[in-house]
Amino acid sequence: MARAATTSDAFNAVAEPHRRRILTLLKGRERPVNELARALRITQPRTSKHLRVLREVGLVRVREAGQQRLYGLDARGLRPVHSWVAGFEQLWGERLDRLNEYVKEQEKERSDGS
Amino acid sequence: MAAETGTEQEADREIVVSRIIDGPRTLVFDAFTDVKNLGVWWVPEGSRIITRTFDFRPGGIWDATIQRPGGSEFPNYIVWKEIAPPERIVWLYYGMGKDDPQPVQTTLTLAERGSATEATLRLVFGSKEQRDQAAQYGASKGAQQSLDALAAYVAGGR
Repeated sequence: MARAATTSDAFNAVAEPHRRRILTLLKGRERPVNELARALRITQPRTSKHLRVLREVGLVRVREAGQQRLYGLDARGLRPVHSWVAGFEQLWGERLDRLNEYVKEQEKERSDGS
Repeated sequence: MAAETGTEQEADREIVVSRIIDGPRTLVFDAFTDVKNLGVWWVPEGSRIITRTFDFRPGGIWDATIQRPGGSEFPNYIVWKEIAPPERIVWLYYGMGKDDPQPVQTTLTLAERGSATEATLRLVFGSKEQRDQAAQYGASKGAQQSLDALAAYVAGGR
């Protein structure tokens, strides 16, 4: 299947602002497509298109609930984007903690060596 | 205010993170200058960073891939913009890889604090929306916990 490379992995899927917004909306609870479309202020077909991309990369799943189809976050696809989604603040907080450990270690080696 | 359109205040689209690093400034600066040093602390234990190109000079790039324990891979594409030893490094971070249309400008400032160093990172995003998107998840504890729980759940092989 020749599918556009731009949507074939989770990273590219979340590069699109509407799709990131969908993930944010689904973070709290499952929602039907019309509710998502309303929140995004885009048409339902466009919302469905975004949902399809998110489902293809395993970020979103769907289940039948009576008359409705409810969309929710899917744990399977979440892992690859976890560090991105976790936010730069945390990423850099942790990275600077490791930098601190590294520098302390270097400093220790330097003073031990002299 | 029509004059303001398109130029959001930098404060509205930045994230600032700082830490006291327990060592002299030159040593902190050196942690960035060599890919061998970066490899020690840039990624968490268990992850690997595979570097294709590392050219530490203004305009030079660091092109690498981060491999996480679960097997997932992330691009690590950075263009060094300004290098002012031992106090400042500025780079563009292409989070989605080389073709990322919205790189994040990151400024590292190192200030001496006695025998220690205060490292301040300022990330300036392309727009307020992009900043909020990045900060939102990280800032929200509940979201973070549920994501961690989900990640652990997945790692546990369900």
